[in-house]
Amino acid sequence: MTVLTQSRKPRFAAETMTPYTFITPAILVILGGLLYPVFMAFYLSFYDWEIGRDLAKAPFMGVDNFVRMVQDPQVWEVLWVTLRFGFWTITIEMTLGVALALLLEKPIRGASFFRTIFILPLMVSPVVVGLIWRYLFDARIGWINYYLGAFFGIEPQVWLGDADLAFFAIVFTDIWQWTPFIFIIVIAGLQALPSEVVEASTIDGANWYQQVFLVKLPMIKSILVIALLMRLIDVFRGLEVMLIMTGGGPGRATELLSLHIYNRAFDTQQLGYASAISVLLILIVFAISTAILTMANPMKSKSDV
Amino acid sequence: MRHVLKKGLLSMGAFAFVTAAAFANPYEKFEGTTIVVSWPALSHFKKAEDLVAEFTEETGIEVEIDALQYLKLRDRQLLEMSKNEGEYDVVSWVVMWKGEYVSKGLLTPLSQFYTSGSLVDPNYDLDDIADAYLQNGGVVGGKKGYMPGKSGAMYGVPFGAETSILAYRKDIFEEQGLKVPETYDELRDVMQKLHEAGIPALTSRGKTGHQITAAWLLHLAPLGGKIFDDQWNPVINSPEAVEAAQVLREVAQTGPKGIPTFGFGEAAAAFLQGEAAMHLDTLKIAAMSRDPKLSKIDGKVGYALHPVGSRCGSETGGFAAGIPANAPNKEAAFLFLQYMTSKAGDQRMVELGGDPVRISTLKNNADKFDEYAVVAEQLPCADPDWRPLIPEWNELNIDVLGQALTEVITTDKPIQPIMDAANEKARAIMEREGYYLWQ
Amino acid sequence: MNDTFQRQLYHYSALIFLALIALAPIWVMVATSFKDDVLVQDGTPLWFFFHPTLENYEYILTRGKFDRYLTNSIIVGVASTIITLLLGGFCAYALARLDFKGRALMANSTLLVRMVPPAVLAVPAFAFVTLTGVDSDLAVLTFFYTALNLPFAIWLLFGFYKQIPVELEEAAIVDGASPLQVFFKVLFPLMTSGYAVAAIFTFRIAWNEFILALLLTGRTTRTLPVGAAGFITDTGIEWGRIMAMGTLIVIPPLLFTFFAARQIIAGMTAGAVKG
Repeated sequence: MTVLTQSRKPRFAAETMTPYTFITPAILVILGGLLYPVFMAFYLSFYDWEIGRDLAKAPFMGVDNFVRMVQDPQVWEVLWVTLRFGFWTITIEMTLGVALALLLEKPIRGASFFRTIFILPLMVSPVVVGLIWRYLFDARIGWINYYLGAFFGIEPQVWLGDADLAFFAIVFTDIWQWTPFIFIIVIAGLQALPSEVVEASTIDGANWYQQVFLVKLPMIKSILVIALLMRLIDVFRGLEVMLIMTGGGPGRATELLSLHIYNRAFDTQQLGYASAISVLLILIVFAISTAILTMANPMKSKSDV
Repeated sequence: MRHVLKKGLLSMGAFAFVTAAAFANPYEKFEGTTIVVSWPALSHFKKAEDLVAEFTEETGIEVEIDALQYLKLRDRQLLEMSKNEGEYDVVSWVVMWKGEYVSKGLLTPLSQFYTSGSLVDPNYDLDDIADAYLQNGGVVGGKKGYMPGKSGAMYGVPFGAETSILAYRKDIFEEQGLKVPETYDELRDVMQKLHEAGIPALTSRGKTGHQITAAWLLHLAPLGGKIFDDQWNPVINSPEAVEAAQVLREVAQTGPKGIPTFGFGEAAAAFLQGEAAMHLDTLKIAAMSRDPKLSKIDGKVGYALHPVGSRCGSETGGFAAGIPANAPNKEAAFLFLQYMTSKAGDQRMVELGGDPVRISTLKNNADKFDEYAVVAEQLPCADPDWRPLIPEWNELNIDVLGQALTEVITTDKPIQPIMDAANEKARAIMEREGYYLWQ
Repeated sequence: MNDTFQRQLYHYSALIFLALIALAPIWVMVATSFKDDVLVQDGTPLWFFFHPTLENYEYILTRGKFDRYLTNSIIVGVASTIITLLLGGFCAYALARLDFKGRALMANSTLLVRMVPPAVLAVPAFAFVTLTGVDSDLAVLTFFYTALNLPFAIWLLFGFYKQIPVELEEAAIVDGASPLQVFFKVLFPLMTSGYAVAAIFTFRIAWNEFILALLLTGRTTRTLPVGAAGFITDTGIEWGRIMAMGTLIVIPPLLFTFFAARQIIAGMTAGAVKG
């Protein structure tokens, strides 16, 4: 994507309708498949609707669902769980991912092979990830308990049945799956750095630490922030792994906001109230996305301004 | 015009022929029909697959089974049943959903079929089906909406119904010189003794949500507690209810590792794998313990009545099956239900390793299976008010009790305040749903 | 010399260690899928040396309606991928190459809708199904997957269009080619790697997605992840079978990874690095 090509567009002779024929099908699908549901979530949040009842007969609630949400300690509890989960996973994933990228940035033989291995966890279906780790963390037959006992003499723990341990377990699982994502992005960013700058700093006598913290990391700052925000959005989007691993329990120790909405809607069947919480989720995700977009939008080329 | 008339006459003729033939064989009319059955992926129902195959062979009615995890079952069934024309001809529900299904108008009253002589098998003998099962699973609209009563009507027949009995390891009890507990005091004592001997005592469900609530309810009824008084005031912070929670905490402390993650399957597996000395839950455990694929303890299990607290009270649960209001093949579905729960069908279920619903079957097989005598004796204690089968129960069960009881077994906090808080929440829900408008 | 050797050794041991961490859980799944229930319930980790059994695979392939789930997954995956690529390709082309009113707005909002959480879609999708009665229909699921994937596909393809020199099209336009001809005849051959990246990501979502599939599919239309979750039964989890199912589900994404790792990395880093 060079600046030169961005400023030029091929001109067709008097074809003002053409662009719209090109974009309309995609817009219709997005409108119907994404924006209509978001609109429906807003709409449903004003009703008291449950599965098996006619939606047309659902009683109108006004803003009751929202009032209830603001006063509902459970909503704040799961929001807090989500934020804590986000804090721990993102902090550890960023630290580990960046550290590994810096350590392994030097091009070596077989690098692409290892990179292939590293992205495998990212490709595994969330349902399967949840199943694998539920098995590993199982209190009775799980391998983690077995090895902790065999090597460290640690008593078998009920990983998924204790609030703190279960929280640890889902954080651990997330780190396993998503650290490679940070690693791949950062290493791509590092390798895209102009080598002259790095070389210049070496000639200037900068040691490794100075080079990393004063030259390299500042130069990929925007990449780091975008990666961080993308992970943050994933934290608010994700639910499948926890749904399979713990279902949100024990208590609400591992119930992220998305999972709470799902459980509200399909466990306790309060579809209207679940929609009200959906609105909260939409607002949060919207805010983070806007932050990403103001930092970098590859589709907003400079010539548009 | 004439063409249409002719066609009509022809089909009437064909109809007359079919009805005439139907006298020879009640199933013939439906030969080649395919009915779709929605039921849970539980042991009893897996065993029933063989009987379903026999049904198809005998009647020519094809059956397609859609077996789901029972927590997924309700969403799926509700969705199907609320469409104009559904896919399911037979649905099997957990007794606690029956009120919801009926109040939403999703089920066909069975009276619709019992008025048809060509469908009802005169030898069926409905009275032989254990009354506790029939009332709890099949009858809706009696006292409080879910208990027996004159305003009730029959919507389903029990299939895979159950009550709770105590299963224990004869070898362990003998080795430790323990007496099988008959009361709750004795039970708690035995739990403590086993724990001191280093043997995990009583396995139990304990997973957040309805699983842990079910575990607590098992102790609540015999200890004399209830969820609501007669005015729909929640009483889950009563001394009895708190004591039941205390028992549950002791169970978690003295039982096998992992109770807070156990659903029914995990709790049963702990017992069947020989990692717990007792199992106090559904009678289904008996058939499971005889299945070599599931159990390492076949032949070592003894059965006793559910221990008594201030009264005898065992669970009323399990499944009943009925016919959706929007089922495409209702009559064939009725014939299927009748076949599966007939005397012969019930006996076949026992032979296949399932659980019977008929008193006669329990009596006829009492010599073969140790638990049948216990079950027959336990059934009169099965408490129809074991849990309130009202639509709001779902939220109370999962959101209120399911959360509070998790706190009970995973922390050391005093129990009374936890249950007080839960009671307040329960009250708020009932208030919101308009239960106090009559006061 | 010695120093470089040491550093290389340390590099490789670090890499191998990390690779093992990434692979171990996946291997545990594969190993467990070849164990019978007794071995699984025994609880002793056996990594390699045990009596493998094909019992689990035999069960899910013959009794588990696997063929039905697989067919459904393939239909939904392929259909939504093709539609996404076609519509996304059109849209990205217009955004990258054509001038029209609302272009800037479109470019900005495309990315915004990409972030809509699946949990938000769940209830409205359910409402849609009950309102219209259209359920258990693979078309509905395909439609939602297409919508979910389109914004990302547009974004990705946009970047690839931008890398193609304009001169090629200009030459074609001078020769009197219409936009459609330019799109298919001139640009399409140059865009294959871009489409490959987009196809992998689109197919992967359709293949792995669980929540919407759970809500929108019926008896005959369940996809593989929904089928797999069906082995979490009330008599406990049938670990051997569910792991066998998991292994089969994971095979296509793993194949993609091995044959198209570079494209996948390109897709993943597209958002952050190229911006």
